[in-house]
Amino acid sequence: MQPQAPLTLWGVYAAWRRNARVYQSTWLVNSLPPLSEPLIYLVAFGFGLTPLVGQITYNGQEVAYLRFLAPGMMAVGILFQSYGEGAYASYIRLSYQRTWHAILTTPLTFSEVFAGELLWAATKGVIAGVATGGVAIAWGLLSFPYLLLSLPLILLGSLLFGAAGLLTAGLVRTIDQVNVPLFLAVVPMFTLCGTYFPRTTLPTPLNEIASALPLAALADLLRWPLGLPSHWVWSLGWLLLWAVVCIVLAWRSIYPRLFR
Amino acid sequence: MVLQANDLWKQYGDRAVVQGVSFTLGRGEVLGFLGANGAGKTTTVGMLYGAVIPTRGTVEVNGLNVQAQGRRARQQMGIVTQDDNLDPDFNVLDNLRYFASFYRITGKTAQVRAGELLAEVGLQDYARHRISELSGGLKRRLVLARALLNRPQIVFLDEPTTGLDPDARQDFWRMVTQLKQQGCGVLLTTHYMDEAQRLCDRLLLLQNGQVIDSGTPETLIIKTVGEEVIEVDGLTREVIEPLAAEFGVWWRSLGMGYLLVVPPSNGEQLWARLSDRHPHRLSRRRANLEDVFLRLTGQSLGN
Repeated sequence: MQPQAPLTLWGVYAAWRRNARVYQSTWLVNSLPPLSEPLIYLVAFGFGLTPLVGQITYNGQEVAYLRFLAPGMMAVGILFQSYGEGAYASYIRLSYQRTWHAILTTPLTFSEVFAGELLWAATKGVIAGVATGGVAIAWGLLSFPYLLLSLPLILLGSLLFGAAGLLTAGLVRTIDQVNVPLFLAVVPMFTLCGTYFPRTTLPTPLNEIASALPLAALADLLRWPLGLPSHWVWSLGWLLLWAVVCIVLAWRSIYPRLFR
Repeated sequence: MVLQANDLWKQYGDRAVVQGVSFTLGRGEVLGFLGANGAGKTTTVGMLYGAVIPTRGTVEVNGLNVQAQGRRARQQMGIVTQDDNLDPDFNVLDNLRYFASFYRITGKTAQVRAGELLAEVGLQDYARHRISELSGGLKRRLVLARALLNRPQIVFLDEPTTGLDPDARQDFWRMVTQLKQQGCGVLLTTHYMDEAQRLCDRLLLLQNGQVIDSGTPETLIIKTVGEEVIEVDGLTREVIEPLAAEFGVWWRSLGMGYLLVVPPSNGEQLWARLSDRHPHRLSRRRANLEDVFLRLTGQSLGN
């Protein structure tokens, strides 16, 4: 197999489409989590926490808690959907179903199958981000132009966490091991990165660690209507760097599992 | 010539699992790799279609280098791997339709081709079945149908009938014969000597990653063993060894008894001498590839 063989659009599309077709066949079940989760969170936090929290200070200004929360929830949706698809679903296709092996007996190259899988994991993240944004728009928290303008960010975050999922799929040897990075990295990131509360409330060392994690950068950037952080260019660069590193490492971890 | 393998080597650390394998495969020819488990058959086939990267050597399919021009080379191949890596997320028909898209066969063309192949392998009544509802034999048929979507010029069958019942094996053999008749080059790995003897025009015998002999099944049998063998139970080594030496024939222990080659000139005398010793069982049969393998390697194919 020629890992350096040029990618064709057709090859990437064909690999992506296989997963899209499976998703499409169970679309009703699949569309439930990205819509119901944000709705439940908004109801719970909206009715439960807002009377307690009221306004919070973010980026030097007072904002309603739910307005702060909505972009954070989008970031969380992107994280879980793209990472979950990359880690669990790709691992199953790689190790149990051997779908990758089967496709690689055809003219498709490893790079095309990898890119198709990555784009599919990212697609799941984009669906989650847009669905969460849609619920927030319906709730009156965000605007439609905001969602449109945020699409590139949603895609970047989805690619990053999809690649992190694929890296996990390439590294673990049993499906249970997928839980290790989930509980050691993903859950702490989801709770501490300023998705549900401003990181400034954390002790300084913890705030600094949390701020270095990619979800923090994504949540900060998605809150652009509340004012971009002063270091937003760095945040964007940081996200891009994480994405590139995760993609390269994922590629390198999966390739040796298919070609000896 | 549809395939040419030149001096293929595969090394994992210090261990060489394939050592200098070279061969060619012509159109309409069925070439068999015969060897015990671990002989290097699957690794060699992996190198032929690009799943295993050779440490040394090259493979060409219709003049295309598989390592450097893998995409174009695989457009001409059909591959049946050892495991049934059918897609459990699709039904039988969709397994073919979506696999066809990897060869850029789409829409109506894919639908028609999938229908043709299902009819060809006798699965037309199972088109809407889930993969989990198919028996092992039906799954193997579907894997073969999937490998033929692109009308390949060469088909790799890696132990395609392992685990199948006799009827399913016969069906599979019929389909391989059809491929041969259609001019397709077929490379078959197997450890079933009856399968190899029945299907293959030519055989490569593999042991420890090396080709230890090659030829047509008949040639291999005659030159290595002879036309007939005797199987005898209930006599001791002290009886068999001097008799074999006296008649100048090869022998070896086999299960609870012994196997001796029937000498072409005085076979009746050997039979009579063995009968005189009143063995529990004495039988004479045509030599086969299992005997060839025993003689060349000291191993049974099933091991």
